[in-house]
Amino acid sequence: MLDKYAANPGDRDNLPESARDAEENRCALGGAEAMQGMPNNPDCADASLPAEPGETLITLSCRINGQPVTAEVPPSRRLLTVLREEFGLTGTKRSCELGRCGACMVLIDGRPVNSCLTMAYQCEGAGITTIEGLSGGGLHPVQQAFLEEGGFQCGYCTPGMVISVVALLSENPKPAPEEVEEALSGNLCRCTGYGGIMRAVNKAIEKGVG
Amino acid sequence: MEALRDEPLWTPAVQRPRSLHEAWELKRTFGRDGVYVAGSTLLRTQWEAGTVSMPKSLIDLRGIEDLADIDEDGGGLSIGALADLSRCRRSAALGHMAPAVQEAVRCIAAPAVRNLATIGGNIASGYGDCLPALLVCDAELAVFDGKFLSRRRVEEWLADRWSGMHPQEDILTGIWLAPPAGPAGSRRIEIFRKVGRREAFTPSLVTVAIGCFIDSEGRLSGVKIAAGGGSGRPQRLDIAEAVLEGASIGKEQLASVFEAVVTQFETYGDPFATVEYKKKTAGNLIVAELWKALEGSAGKGDH
Repeated sequence: MLDKYAANPGDRDNLPESARDAEENRCALGGAEAMQGMPNNPDCADASLPAEPGETLITLSCRINGQPVTAEVPPSRRLLTVLREEFGLTGTKRSCELGRCGACMVLIDGRPVNSCLTMAYQCEGAGITTIEGLSGGGLHPVQQAFLEEGGFQCGYCTPGMVISVVALLSENPKPAPEEVEEALSGNLCRCTGYGGIMRAVNKAIEKGVG
Repeated sequence: MEALRDEPLWTPAVQRPRSLHEAWELKRTFGRDGVYVAGSTLLRTQWEAGTVSMPKSLIDLRGIEDLADIDEDGGGLSIGALADLSRCRRSAALGHMAPAVQEAVRCIAAPAVRNLATIGGNIASGYGDCLPALLVCDAELAVFDGKFLSRRRVEEWLADRWSGMHPQEDILTGIWLAPPAGPAGSRRIEIFRKVGRREAFTPSLVTVAIGCFIDSEGRLSGVKIAAGGGSGRPQRLDIAEAVLEGASIGKEQLASVFEAVVTQFETYGDPFATVEYKKKTAGNLIVAELWKALEGSAGKGDH
């Protein structure tokens, strides 16, 4: 197994997640360093993953964080893999890979979806927003609220949490507590820092985000 | 390093039919090597878990027109199989026509999954949590058999699905819900409850659904009770239904209903819950919800 992974230069997932992110100098909450991701990197605008022999590829054309992109990818490649390995958008986290934890949440046409459950061909023509693309610069107000209220511990779930909250507040700026709970029911914090997360959400609501 | 799972070294090709006929022909050509897909959330989890092999071809139904529509039609409600669960969750028409179905949808997965997953996919699995609710609503399923589009009662469809008799090429195209009609002066009660290993975003261990009418004197009619859960077969519980039909809810009836449910409900054990636990849970859920209805404070889904 080690040899197989080592043979694939793009397979950074062999590294511990913290090491990978440190290497790429991006933080979970975004900010100036995170914004150095794909949208500002012309080298990443067109990409292609190596195909296995006999594998059919499609040309995926979509917009990622506002930028038109194309990639030659196997049609059922996970969006999670495409974002992280093709476009270097590692703010979208790889975790359960079964749609159970929400760490890989992104917005597709404004709606939150688990990128581990979404296949490349399902994204053709779509507008995808990752944590790196939430704001044009600086922090999105929801990210700011998470910072101010300590809405994270290890931070691994935070990009997914933020994406879910942004989606909720853009549709419903004044959600009831049970609506917040439902909106975040697909995002697990394994540090169990839900108190801080809920304070952050409430602060974002109070500030009129959305 | 074995704990790190990566994607398979190959991925299926995607076929994009533009019509039901084309999709049906593709499935006939590919046989077991082709699978109908839309949201594909359940399939993806099965592939990842290794319980189902990834097929050579995915037959993507999303390019076929009108399969995602929700339309009020002739007093009833037509729901396209490709309507995503979030849309069903928000549909005022569905909430009015079949609150138990909407509550079942609310309890499936989480919002982000429901944005991808379709109600047709949930049904086509043969054990989705919508099915007990659809059973008590007397829903019909629209199925395309390569030539004709016909409607079948959910119970009949389930019987074929679980016997392996249904043609693999058949395409589930939608759900039809007729307006519930009860005796004059009665009100409709519809309830769906789910129990999993945690409160939210969890696969079901047991699901129950109840649909009936209650008149001003507390007598029940048109009683339908169903149960399912996990990957077990959703089923009507007609012995419990017979106990309640024409009766007023009282302690004696509820005791009989509990016994009937525990006796009739066929389920399976797993490492987390025994058959006995699931049977008792189904019985308790049904009796508790009926008791709440008696108290005039029925749970979600009552209208």
